[in-house]
Amino acid sequence: MRSLVICTLALAVLGTAAVGRAQDRPAVLVTPGSARTFKAAVQSFRDGSATPKLGRAEEFRGWLEAALTYSNVIEPLKHAAFLGPERTGALDGEDVVCSDWSQIGADALVQGELTLDTEFAVEIRVWDTARCTRLVRKRYRQPASADPGVVARRIADDVVESFIGVRGVAATEIAFVSNRKGTSEIYVMGADGSNPRSATANGSINRFPSWSPDGDSIVYTSYRHQDRPLLFLSSRGRGRPGRLLRRLGDAYSEYRGVFAPDGSHLAVAMSAPDRASEIYRVRPDGRDLRALTRSTAIDVAPAWSPDGSQLAFVSDRSGSPQVYVMEADGSSQRRLTFQGPYNTHPAWSPDGKWIAYESRIGGQFDIWLIDPEGTVNVPLVQHPRGDESPTWAPNSRKVAFSSRRRGRADIYVIDVNGENLHRTTRSGGDDTSPSWGPFPR
Amino acid sequence: MREVAVRLDEARRREFRYSLAGSTGLHGLVFLVLALAPVIPSMSPPASIPVRLVAPAAALRPAPAVSRPKPPKPPKPALTVLPTEPVMPKPAAKPKPEEPPPPAEQEYEDVLERLRSELGEPAPEEPEAGPVETAAVGVARGAPVSPEVAAWLKNARIHVRRNWVVPPAFEMQVLVAEIRVNLDAAGYVRGMPKVERRSGNPWYDENVVRSIQKASPLPAPPEAGKWTFVFYSDRDR
Repeated sequence: MRSLVICTLALAVLGTAAVGRAQDRPAVLVTPGSARTFKAAVQSFRDGSATPKLGRAEEFRGWLEAALTYSNVIEPLKHAAFLGPERTGALDGEDVVCSDWSQIGADALVQGELTLDTEFAVEIRVWDTARCTRLVRKRYRQPASADPGVVARRIADDVVESFIGVRGVAATEIAFVSNRKGTSEIYVMGADGSNPRSATANGSINRFPSWSPDGDSIVYTSYRHQDRPLLFLSSRGRGRPGRLLRRLGDAYSEYRGVFAPDGSHLAVAMSAPDRASEIYRVRPDGRDLRALTRSTAIDVAPAWSPDGSQLAFVSDRSGSPQVYVMEADGSSQRRLTFQGPYNTHPAWSPDGKWIAYESRIGGQFDIWLIDPEGTVNVPLVQHPRGDESPTWAPNSRKVAFSSRRRGRADIYVIDVNGENLHRTTRSGGDDTSPSWGPFPR
Repeated sequence: MREVAVRLDEARRREFRYSLAGSTGLHGLVFLVLALAPVIPSMSPPASIPVRLVAPAAALRPAPAVSRPKPPKPPKPALTVLPTEPVMPKPAAKPKPEEPPPPAEQEYEDVLERLRSELGEPAPEEPEAGPVETAAVGVARGAPVSPEVAAWLKNARIHVRRNWVVPPAFEMQVLVAEIRVNLDAAGYVRGMPKVERRSGNPWYDENVVRSIQKASPLPAPPEAGKWTFVFYSDRDR
């Protein structure tokens, strides 16, 4: 018994010593290397339709891989490099040999099954090959007649989220103004430029689209009524299309409106006859009108903070257009930008960290980022032909803007770190005033 | 006059005798040395003296040509695992029969560095400007470590870094995660790494664990057991 106690004590002492020794070892300090995108092996999904169609799964994989590439977070691997099966077998019946995928450098394996019968359904599995654990198991459904590319983009966004915790934006949309068919109409396209289609076709001048928080509607300025700028709504959901602020009648020229993050109010730049433009807060039907600015200067371009507690706007009260910030009730107005003679078009990032704006330096407009306190001010993108009208992706990782760098104005998307510039429009007209919509529900 | 001539002859003879005796003695001595030479142990260096370099490899000059049997090459890893940074405390020489093979990462980094210099690009951050920095619990930061451990710390860092994907979403935040990893003697990760200090971003912590498992096997550690890895998201740290 005594020897047992001695042995136990000895082992305990040795164990403690070992732990202490491990703790005393120096640590390996690791900083980021050059790898910035995860690699994904995307299998061709199994076609479980009653009448499988040759090439359907392959086409779907193409959309999915394009959407992953757009994220700039996950990069699809070439199929020729696969050691594992190129096509998904049974989703749950087959064991995944993770080493087959990790050996070719895949961080993720995406496999799935699609079915097109009375509806279009896709079920996916996403594997972390290094740890051989399943990250995502999800099923998507939509009407059989709907665009299957939408499902592919949603899957890509979920795969991105499973790796970095920030949802991708391939399935979001961008509204913009285009004169590709003569008059300036409002258009909508996928964030990657896919599937552009018109939201208005009234033959008048239409400007400044801005999404409702639910993504069902777009408020925009149109001159269709007596050639005066008034706010209208284009809707694909519950919102009633047509003129907003109807209750105000013809008392104001309504230059531009943006929904508050909760959708309850609009911030509107408008002017009474013979008065300069001011920023107002008003319900979408025109009730509860309240002026937030009262100056002899011109106040325009309102932009809500993501929590709805503040507004950024542009005023020339100092003698030149500059970006200002105020509380949502109009109090505590303060100047934010002091660089250069012309700063305009503020856009508050959804995470609240940055305000993007146009700044004219040396005759060209560039996109800059400034923090709401005004302590950090950095250029995001610059080009001699100018970059204008920034708008944030809902995940705050990308910014869309218009630029004439190729002659006609196009919509471009760039990552918030200034990399991965991507042209999204290729029409023969001018594409301007982008407004990035919210995440799809 | 004749007396003078006799004295001179006498002096010459004496000088001749002394010279003869000296010459005989010297020759005898030489003969003795030559005769005994085979039994004196060779003074040439043994082939197996371990040599440890403490200066940067670039400062070495080729030795002058010597016409003697070429000693066998010292094990190559001893050259490649040496720290390139300033002098570490020299440990007592001990035979190291099982050195790991030269890590390919070292060559990879060298090639990268050469390419960067050719392209005029700035070198990436290399925090080890002096003695290898340490940050383990119980070890003061900046405390020097043995060259063997220092070399492993550097090689492990390079190896893990190559397997660590850091998308800009992480890089733009200031995130730090610390994990404890159980390594066997060959460098394989045993069991599930434990997150000792969380970054506040669970996806970052998960990504750090993923990178360690992806990096397995790591370069063989100086000792099997638990090692700490600290991951900084800030590239410019």
